[in-house]
Amino acid sequence: MLKMKRVARQFAAAAAICGVAAWISNPATASPAAEAFVQTNVQRGLAILNNPSLSKQQRQEQFRNFLVTLTDLRRIALYTLGPARRAASPAQQDAFVEAFRNYAFAVYGAEFSKYGGQGLRVTGSVERAPGDELVRTQLVDPHARPGQEPIGVDFRVYGSAGHYSVVDIVVAGLDLAITEQDDFSAFLAQHNNDVNALIANLRQRAERVRSTGQI
Amino acid sequence: MRGLLRAAGAVAVLLLAGCAEVPDPSGANDPYESFNRQVFDFNHKLDKAVIKPVAEAYVDVVPAPARDGVHNVLVNLNLPITFANDLLQGDLERGSETFWRFAINSSLGLGGLFDVATTNFHIPFHTEDFGQTLAVWGVQEGPYLVLPVVGPDPPRDIGGQIGDTVMDPWTYWPHIRDKFWWSVGRGVLSGIDLRARNLDTLDQIERQSIDLYASIRSLYRQNRNNEIRNGKPDVSDLPNL
Repeated sequence: MLKMKRVARQFAAAAAICGVAAWISNPATASPAAEAFVQTNVQRGLAILNNPSLSKQQRQEQFRNFLVTLTDLRRIALYTLGPARRAASPAQQDAFVEAFRNYAFAVYGAEFSKYGGQGLRVTGSVERAPGDELVRTQLVDPHARPGQEPIGVDFRVYGSAGHYSVVDIVVAGLDLAITEQDDFSAFLAQHNNDVNALIANLRQRAERVRSTGQI
Repeated sequence: MRGLLRAAGAVAVLLLAGCAEVPDPSGANDPYESFNRQVFDFNHKLDKAVIKPVAEAYVDVVPAPARDGVHNVLVNLNLPITFANDLLQGDLERGSETFWRFAINSSLGLGGLFDVATTNFHIPFHTEDFGQTLAVWGVQEGPYLVLPVVGPDPPRDIGGQIGDTVMDPWTYWPHIRDKFWWSVGRGVLSGIDLRARNLDTLDQIERQSIDLYASIRSLYRQNRNNEIRNGKPDVSDLPNL
């Protein structure tokens, strides 16, 4: 599979050298609307994180509400449930989505509270299918040591202009949805595929973060 | 010559191990999972007891410019391996970058101490290894394996490490190859350097996971595949959400 891709890439490079039209060497069309969606929302998010007049509580609250409007949390949550999703009842699925939402906000929210002035710069986008884009950005880090390679942050965006939502995030090649699904699947495999046990575990962790401020 | 043949034989055996049909109950290509988990637990305890404290002390005691210098020298010593693998993968552009990086940093950078290639010449940085080369040649990763101290090391990557040692010119340098302090010193220092540079990342992963073993297995593989693709996303490989 990889070998064929290499051959395809080398052919595409050769075609470009021969002066063939650009669209042959770059078949994936970029999506300016999806890129604009990410750029605008990056700025909105940074405005909240950088707002000096907000208390820590207010900042967390506002950022959380912002993320809810930006992402399709239900879709992400049900993906992370993996094959167990099919066996789960609708009530269990709802309970899981709720537990996942609280877990994600608690755990990732605590990481965001350590925010130190970084930004994101949109560098382009790749279409996977109509309505399914990967918007590529680079982390702009004021604390990065000189010569450090910039970290790539890709946003998986579903929808169309005016109705986009973020369904996944890939940091330095590490896919959040895949990592969470692998983590939860292993837990379920060790606990007899008991979705209620997973829900309880997520609730416990969210509660621990809230009460202690530590994850 | 005999050493070379033995190494080639070891690599071949490991790669064949990757092809063997082994039962895989979890579907994660981890048929040795219970063994791996035990080794992982041992490694985790060793890390907490010894490796992490040493890395933290290293960060506390040695100032950042000195640590950067050590890191730069270690990276520079490994560039011939990257160069060999760039060529084996047929990537002349990146091979050229590696060549100039090594030449500039070894000379102007005073034996690799200063990363002049990046700061003054803006040459992009990358590393390659024989494990990545084997992947580019179409070799499958093989069943997941966790080795004591080393950590995650599936058969293809073990084969890769053997191949890199064979290709490493310092292995054959007459004045140092038999010196104990050279091989052990370089190895230990590389380990401390790597651990020190990942203190926050690994802490974060541990905080955020429910099953640390499974999270590391997932992240190890995703990271390797990202390295093999040289950081380019493979949109066809993205999950269906």
